[in-house]
Amino acid sequence: MNSIAKQYTQGNVNPVSREINDAMAELATPPQLGLAPTLQLPPISQPTDFLRAHTDDATNPDCKIKIAHGTTTLAFRFQGGIIVAVDSRATAGNWIASQTVNKVIRINPKLLGTMAGGAADCQYWETWLGSQCRLYELRNKERISVAAASKILSNLVYEYKGMGLSMGTMICGVTKKEGPTIFYVDSDGTRLKGDLFCVGSGQTFAYGVLDSDYKWDLTVEEALYLGKRSILAATHRDAYSGGSINLYHVSEEGWEYHGNYNVGDIFWDIKAKEHSFVNVET
Amino acid sequence: MSRTTVASEYSAEIQSTPIEHRFNPYSDNGGTVLGIAGKDFAVLAGDTRHVTGYNINSRYEPRVFDVGDNIVMTANGFAADGKALIDRFKNQIKWYKFNNGGKKLEMQSAARYIQQLLYGKRFFPYYVSTLIAGLDEEGRGAVYSYDPVGSYEREQCRAGGAAASLIMPFLDNQVNFKNQFIPGTDGKEKRPFEYLSLQEVIELVKDAFNSAAERHIHVGDGLEILIVTKDGVRTEYSPLKRD
Amino acid sequence: MSDPSSINGGAAVAMVGKDCVAIASDLRLGNQSLGVSNNFEKVFQFGDKTFLGLTGLASDVTTLSQVFRLKTNLYKLREERSIEPQTFANLVSSTLYEKRFGPYFIGPIVAGLDSKTDKPFICGFDLIGCIDFAKDFIVSGTASDQLYGMCESLYEPNLEPEDLFETISQALLNAVDRDALSGWGCVVYVITKDRVVKRVLRTRQD
Repeated sequence: MNSIAKQYTQGNVNPVSREINDAMAELATPPQLGLAPTLQLPPISQPTDFLRAHTDDATNPDCKIKIAHGTTTLAFRFQGGIIVAVDSRATAGNWIASQTVNKVIRINPKLLGTMAGGAADCQYWETWLGSQCRLYELRNKERISVAAASKILSNLVYEYKGMGLSMGTMICGVTKKEGPTIFYVDSDGTRLKGDLFCVGSGQTFAYGVLDSDYKWDLTVEEALYLGKRSILAATHRDAYSGGSINLYHVSEEGWEYHGNYNVGDIFWDIKAKEHSFVNVET
Repeated sequence: MSRTTVASEYSAEIQSTPIEHRFNPYSDNGGTVLGIAGKDFAVLAGDTRHVTGYNINSRYEPRVFDVGDNIVMTANGFAADGKALIDRFKNQIKWYKFNNGGKKLEMQSAARYIQQLLYGKRFFPYYVSTLIAGLDEEGRGAVYSYDPVGSYEREQCRAGGAAASLIMPFLDNQVNFKNQFIPGTDGKEKRPFEYLSLQEVIELVKDAFNSAAERHIHVGDGLEILIVTKDGVRTEYSPLKRD
Repeated sequence: MSDPSSINGGAAVAMVGKDCVAIASDLRLGNQSLGVSNNFEKVFQFGDKTFLGLTGLASDVTTLSQVFRLKTNLYKLREERSIEPQTFANLVSSTLYEKRFGPYFIGPIVAGLDSKTDKPFICGFDLIGCIDFAKDFIVSGTASDQLYGMCESLYEPNLEPEDLFETISQALLNAVDRDALSGWGCVVYVITKDRVVKRVLRTRQD
């Protein structure tokens, strides 16, 4: 009796409406957020104020927990694909915590993410993004688009808006339908598609060099050099950038690593070759 | 309607003279730690002084722990947070074994797991700088270092805690040979990197800690070095300045 | 980060050797994170063998170095000899204490040889002139923690001039490489009985 009543009271006898209902239910609980881990909060009324008081260098220089900051990263699109170049310094206040940070996260063979702002925030959420992209592949039997991947990240950071996450990242990759694509995503929730971005404390210095020599028709070799040269300029002038330069080229086949260049060495090589950096005496 | 109760009068008083309450669950228990990775070994050392402010709570409170699976770990800074983190990690290693038929937790998996533990408290951080040391899957020495919220990196060497800023440049110079050149090359040829022997590393660690103890009041009393080789974990203790 | 003593950045160090002293500084002058000059020496000569290292707020560094130029010149005029390191140290101390309640934001260090005895002398000060007489080394500036660590582990007593040069150079170089606000070149003075040698070091430029 009950089962007969159920058959008529529930409106999903129609296979089409059932499918619609299922799809609606799935949309109501976005799959990636189900996987987002729960982060513990301090047991007080204003967790954000608490966090700022203890970790924010700018508002409280005496804060005990120093979170690593400071960076120069860049990515630009050109005729031959995308160039990604980053420095490798991490600072906590004026202390140089590391000169060997890896600021490019290899999300999958065709996707790269750059890292600026809070080191842990970027590292954690971009590796998390890697898992989400893999799950997407398994579910949909095709690789995720750069637009979709970057949107997973931007939606995630938007959920945490105002909580103190700090990240400025470029999601760079290539897919059949999009071609080489760069999305800038930051912790305010901004998500922009574009051809050329520099992010971090040394961004202005990098833009200065990059803008003056950038052309769409650059060869791959020229583009790699320009990326490297722009970061070099930034490491020179910006106290919070330095260490070494990591270079990547993204083409139709996916990304390719083009090596690590110690600023202490290549500065003098490039200075001698270009007769540039005349402010520095040999 | 305008009847005043005791409670409402009291609350008015609070509003007129606000009392500042700030939730401060952190303190700093000093101490310094240092990890160096060798060719087929790794060491993690820490002093044994435990302080709050200018008071010494203990002259022998171990900081570096063998957490099992040939991994040693330390979480230096706020001792209670450090203890909580290490206990949580030890416990998870135990569960990992129960669930996986006693399988060894590899260094890189341990490293990633600790990131998850630290980032899990992103908005209420553990106030610690964490280091782990052990051997990687190829048997080479490995040291991983973390910031308080879980950003991590594998390194050749790393100092953490109160006197990190005193020790780290010394390590750059003596372990990675930074700013060292081959004599007679006019600073053109760098001294190439080579692994130090265990004996050299232990001497270096002792020098570093003696120097730190000389100039930093939160460092001293004793030095405990945990050495990881393929044969297991070994501990060496030596005294430091006690003043 | 509006602390006056760490706006411009910079580091200096002095060391005693066998019948010699060395004093060194970096060359950076910055405005917070922006590097402005790589030619800003923080070591000044005020006598035949008397040297002053001045770190801290750049405007105070320049002002004070000129104040001491004036005072040491007048001293030379009156005494008909150049100032001794000991005497100069006391001059620095009293000059700084005059500004007890509105101090210069600096960290001075003095190094030199006594002209009569050729005995090495070094000392350091806080910003209001309290003298720190040290037998081995003195550090100052935004990389002072790093310098303490380096000096304490590399230093040994009675080094010959060439070894002292290597020691002070390695100490300074590796210390400034861990400080965002110092570096951009270094200068080292080694002072011995019969000469003063100045060397400029080639360093990382980031």
